[in-house]
Amino acid sequence: MTADRPSWIHPGFRLIDGEGTFGWSELAALPIPAGGVVFGNRVSTVVAALAAAQRDDTPLRLARHGEASMDPSARTGFSVTLESSGTTGTPKRITHNFNRLSDRLKGLSDVGARWLLTYEPAAFAGLQVILTAAAAGALLVSVPGGGVAELVRASRQHAVTHVSGTPSFWRGFLMAAGDAVPPLRSVTLGGEAADQPLLDRLRQTFPEARLRHIYASTEAGALFAVADGRAGFPAEWLSEGRDGVALRIRDGVLEVRSPRAMLAAPGTGDGWLDTGDLVEVAGDRVLFAGRRDGLVNVGGVKVSPEAVEQRLLAVPGVADAAVVPVANPITGFLLTATVVPAPGGDEAALRAALRAATADLVPAARPRVLTLAAHIPLGATGKKSRKGLP
Amino acid sequence: MTDSMLALIAEELGRIAADKGEALPALTPDSVFLDGGLPIDSLDLATLLVVLEQRTGQDPFRAGFRHFTTLGELAALYAVPA
Repeated sequence: MTADRPSWIHPGFRLIDGEGTFGWSELAALPIPAGGVVFGNRVSTVVAALAAAQRDDTPLRLARHGEASMDPSARTGFSVTLESSGTTGTPKRITHNFNRLSDRLKGLSDVGARWLLTYEPAAFAGLQVILTAAAAGALLVSVPGGGVAELVRASRQHAVTHVSGTPSFWRGFLMAAGDAVPPLRSVTLGGEAADQPLLDRLRQTFPEARLRHIYASTEAGALFAVADGRAGFPAEWLSEGRDGVALRIRDGVLEVRSPRAMLAAPGTGDGWLDTGDLVEVAGDRVLFAGRRDGLVNVGGVKVSPEAVEQRLLAVPGVADAAVVPVANPITGFLLTATVVPAPGGDEAALRAALRAATADLVPAARPRVLTLAAHIPLGATGKKSRKGLP
Repeated sequence: MTDSMLALIAEELGRIAADKGEALPALTPDSVFLDGGLPIDSLDLATLLVVLEQRTGQDPFRAGFRHFTTLGELAALYAVPA
């Protein structure tokens, strides 16, 4: 017997997950591991686990980082806990009220839409795409473990119409697709600040598509969408708010007050949430200007140059090390390392040891260019200059 | 010189692939970076651009993105001396 279909899944929803094709009845038949923690690497598993946890009124955690994070939840009642994409130390766990996540998507039926998933299913942005496609009764195409080339192929094969991805994804997608781009109806960017040259190229490549960039965070949920094709967002939203979200700037940092924030958000007590995103007002526009905590965005993954530098400094044979983000047009930023070897060491052995010191980090967090030097260039203040090249 | 630029791109791309334990197929000016024919991803391509800037002193993307899909198209972006 098939379990009742949850209200957030439209009867028309279809899922292509790798080799498998699923409707609600196939999803309802999938086995769900006990214990309230599911490794969220497949869309089919994530949807089935969400439906089961809602039905049983039990908490669900979607793990992204393997077995180390599979310890059970202490919560009771239905909620969804996601792991942040943090790359150093323990990933942050953020618990969401599922009804708040799914409520705003109801009534947006679009059964002709064909979505491509470019995010991990258990990432906040991935879950947003899954819930959107499920509520719309759309087709959702997922390519587990697929790189940009596989995603381009899948988008052509399944005549995809709706794609949401990071700016880094879109740069790679445009390069891999060349002139043979699918005729998209909806182009969405999120996860990193969208830059004007990329928005212009997407507008030119997909003249018929609805082009939007989303501002969201794991902590605060989906905040707002910008649809005018310009980077940043209109400065008037600081006074008027947008989409139920109030916005303000404190000490150069964007603060938000959202009805869709996580459960028990750490805030100032009056509901305002510090995003940690630096912004500046330029004329009628608010533009994003990096992170206050020094994290840099490498292809949609927030990484800490400082934490990586600490690891390199701990390698025997290293006299000094500096890890610096460098701008590039593909992934936004990339970490580079300059290392001063201690006297008398073997260069090949040192390079191997430095590589091993960051091998357990996600690829985006590893220094990709390693230079050995006699000294670390210092900035004007006498500190290591960590500022990225313009 | 586009030919020497192509050779430099092939050399650095080979190094990046070797770091991952991958070997490159024969490269031509028509080889496409991200269509799946080469064992590289966007991080690898980003790495290539950063290394090329270090080695040539040129950043063709300083004023914004310029479209390229193949090795030859990328080499051409560096062909005019800075």
